[in-house]
This record gives sequence, C-alpha cells and structure tokens, in this order.
Amino acid sequence: MFLTRLLQPPVTASAHCDLPCGVYDPEQARIEAESCYKIIEKYNASNDEQFKTRAIVIKEERAELAKHHIDVLWSDYFKPEHVQKYPEITELCWKAAKQCSKVKGSLDIAEAKTLLDMIDKIADVWTKAGGPQATRVAKAAAARA
Amino acid sequence: MIGLRRVAVKGRSMEPALRAGDWIVVSGFRRRPRVGEVVLVRDPRDPEHLMLKRVAGVADGVCTVLGDRPEESTDSRVFGPIPLPDVLGRAVFRYGPVGRIGWIW
Repeated sequence: MFLTRLLQPPVTASAHCDLPCGVYDPEQARIEAESCYKIIEKYNASNDEQFKTRAIVIKEERAELAKHHIDVLWSDYFKPEHVQKYPEITELCWKAAKQCSKVKGSLDIAEAKTLLDMIDKIADVWTKAGGPQATRVAKAAAARA
Repeated sequence: MIGLRRVAVKGRSMEPALRAGDWIVVSGFRRRPRVGEVVLVRDPRDPEHLMLKRVAGVADGVCTVLGDRPEESTDSRVFGPIPLPDVLGRAVFRYGPVGRIGWIW
C-alpha cells in the first residue's frame, strides 16, 4: 500500500475523449428546477395516488438533472479567472448542487423555490462574466420576431 | 539535468499506446519535439489541464498534436497548434500497471 502510494503519479493528463461544445447556460439547470417546482405544486393538488407516485419519480429525475447541469457549469464553464473576479461563484454552485439533493428528497415547494433563486444568482454571475456572448449561438433576428 | 515527471493517464484517445490508468514517466525536452512522439502538452484553452497526444507536425515555434484515436480525441483539430513552450515533455516509459511496463512508442 505504502509503495503504491509512493509510486502513484502526482499529476493526471488526459488522453481525452470529450469534445467540449462550449455551450453553457444556467437556464438549462433552471428549466429542470422549474419542473421540480411545478411537479411539487401538482403533487400537492392531486388525490390520485398513481399520479403522485409518478410525480415523485419524475421530480427526483429532474432534480438530478438540475444538479448535473450546475456541476457542468461549475467544473467546465467557470475558469480560474472567473473565480478570481467573482469569488462567490464557488459557494453559489456548491450550495445550489446541495439544494438539488434537498429538492430531490423533499415535497416542500419552498425548497424548490430556494433552488430557483440560487440558480438565478449563478445566472447573474454567468451574465456578468459574459456568458451569453461567449457560450451561446445567437438566434436569427427573424426567429426572434 | 532534464526534468522527469510521473503522470497518470485518463481517457481513451491514445489507445492502444496509452490506456486509462497507465502510470508513465515524461521527460522534459532539450530539443524540438519530433513527429510521431507522444508528448505531454498544456491545453491552450485551460493551462491547468494537461493532455497526452502524438506530434503530427512541428513548424515555427508551434506543434500540431493529434490523438491516436481521432474519434475519441480533442486535439489540434479543435484547438489549433500548441506553442512549443506548452509542449512539456515526451512520454518515455510506462512503469505501471506491472503487466504493461515498457518503453512508449
């Protein structure tokens, strides 16, 4: 064990297989979080046991997806220079990812609302850091009209 | 003295020469890299990120690198040529796992 640890390389290099497309937007996480919010609303309004069971299963999936999208923003989009300029981003992403786990296991709509607010704070930093211009493909004017 | 460093491999773009989990020794350069050598390079998009690729061409102060498995590789086709100072060394020897110990070609 000791020998293995001694021999273990201190750094890792990628012979990598990912192809970073470069598109990052907190909106992706927000849509999943909005799904959680609406599902909890519908769950509470329903008396149909089968519907309620499905609602729980789907909400847990959506919360997991929201967590994934936040994780991608944090690990792939935000770079050291962003963190230097907006040091709060580390904690925002960390707390939002944890909040996803809370929403996953809860039927309290307040938890889902908290998650939405947290994602909006991440989106504020993303916008300030030039995310919309740097990461999104512009829509054609005609498509917007 | 030439710097030697130990590096762990992740990803599949250099199979079969290098496999995920290989432990290798990388030797610093005293000369220009040559076409065909496996090199450790800094990702021009993220200096913290190190990559292992094969040299496909060397020109004025820059080096073009490609993965051995193009379909699983992010390389100069995506990020362009790499400045020579960011080509940190040549992968020379694999010291782990035990069954795969040997020189790297």
